[in-house]
Amino acid sequence: MTPMLRFENVNVAIADAPVLRNVSFSLAPGVSAALVGRNGAGKTTTARTIMGFTKAIGTVRLGGEDLGRVAPHRRPSLGLGYAPEDRRLFSAFSVEENILLPGRVAKLRPEEMRRRLERAYSVLPELKELAKRPAGSVSGGQGKMVALGRALMLGTKLLILDEPFQGLAPVLAQRYAEALRRLRSQDSEITLLITESNPKLLETFVDVTLTIERGEIEDTSSH
Amino acid sequence: MNSTLAILAVLDGISYAALVFLVSVGLSLIFGVLRVVNVAHGSLYAFGAYLAATLSLRVAPVSPWLTYPALLLASIVIGAVCGGVIERFLLRPLYGRDDVLQLLITFAAFMIMDNLQRMIWGVQPIFAADPLKLLPNVTVFGVTYTSYQVILLPAVALATLFGLRYFLRRTLSGAVILAVTEDREAATAIGIDARRVYFVTFIIGASLAALGGALASPTTSLVPGMGADMIVLSFAVAATAGLGQIEGTALTALLIGLTRAFVIYLHPEFEVLVPYLLMVLVLLVRPLGLFGAVQVRKI
Repeated sequence: MTPMLRFENVNVAIADAPVLRNVSFSLAPGVSAALVGRNGAGKTTTARTIMGFTKAIGTVRLGGEDLGRVAPHRRPSLGLGYAPEDRRLFSAFSVEENILLPGRVAKLRPEEMRRRLERAYSVLPELKELAKRPAGSVSGGQGKMVALGRALMLGTKLLILDEPFQGLAPVLAQRYAEALRRLRSQDSEITLLITESNPKLLETFVDVTLTIERGEIEDTSSH
Repeated sequence: MNSTLAILAVLDGISYAALVFLVSVGLSLIFGVLRVVNVAHGSLYAFGAYLAATLSLRVAPVSPWLTYPALLLASIVIGAVCGGVIERFLLRPLYGRDDVLQLLITFAAFMIMDNLQRMIWGVQPIFAADPLKLLPNVTVFGVTYTSYQVILLPAVALATLFGLRYFLRRTLSGAVILAVTEDREAATAIGIDARRVYFVTFIIGASLAALGGALASPTTSLVPGMGADMIVLSFAVAATAGLGQIEGTALTALLIGLTRAFVIYLHPEFEVLVPYLLMVLVLLVRPLGLFGAVQVRKI
């Protein structure tokens, strides 16, 4: 079976300092994977490399397609959803406009956009109450939920969640984890890649844990 | 100053503010989205004026009414061609590098365009007032104004302001520009081609500068150096408003236009000083401009 995501000897340097060194791993379709490691280990750089925001040497494939040949702005339309570490919502728009914008940009049909919006609301019911709120006015935890909802609009194959639990109050972290479980129960085919500093937060949820240290994958364990 | 003079000053100020707004808002839009202070903006204004005058003089013998489409055509051509070339070949290779480089490259473009302007149109003044003569005059307290200056220019400025607001707040293209303005990487992560947004935004900003020049062309003699005067003035307006602030630019253009008009009536020797004095005073108190904000990039 073709892996959903495959890294082949990927190297990334930032300001001449190596951040990823010969990173190779693959994720089968439908798995939930955690990429764990300390701060600065290379987790966010791995996520950003998939999205095309770094200058990488090596090959990154999505469902067999070489992403190096796909411009960064064309990658989301391949089914790639990305919720960055610091949520990065567009404050000029409401919560719902933030969630819908990727669909509008991708020119999805209105009924398909509505279907995906309902999917986001079914995974994250609390977003429905926030729908009309300006995105700039939501709390940090709510913002993480909105970022996940936005990533779900185009993320039909691979969802990358960069440090989603960082800075969340315990109750919100629990709600976020419940949302991920709902997503998993509703969609068994989507592949999840979640970066996290604290491996214990994800150990009951994920199928695979990749441990990254100083830019190298040190361990891969299946649960 | 009596009330008659005050009304005349207001009319003068509004007319002047309308032209200044058109040019300044283009500069502000480009800065808001691309974070580039486009020194060549003044040259785009001058090129718009010269091309509009050239086309007007050509079409006026056929029908003077064709001079109006000529003004619009000149703006679009200069915006698309000159703006497109500057963004694609001069600015794009420099994105992500030191801001000073972008400033220097647009200054170089300004110098090149200034010389090109002399090569193409020479140094003799050009005057093409046909569009101005077509519209009736308006007499206010015994003073004759052209309705081109007191009605058409403010109407075009208002239409531009509300048109830009509508475009940015109500259309998908506008939403895409706002998203790139706020966070280029997050915008790319949802499928937006930020490079294309930069290109289109620069062309819109350049077209606004050229439109300002085209609309100014019937009201004044076109002479070398007019671009330099305008970039300094429009930068003063945009900086006083807060770079990237569209509505703020409109209000500041009006403030500077009215203040300048009143100063002309009261102390004409200070006319040139007004915009820059206002800018200095505002920036001393509010370094980000009257409407500038630290938190979020706005356009």
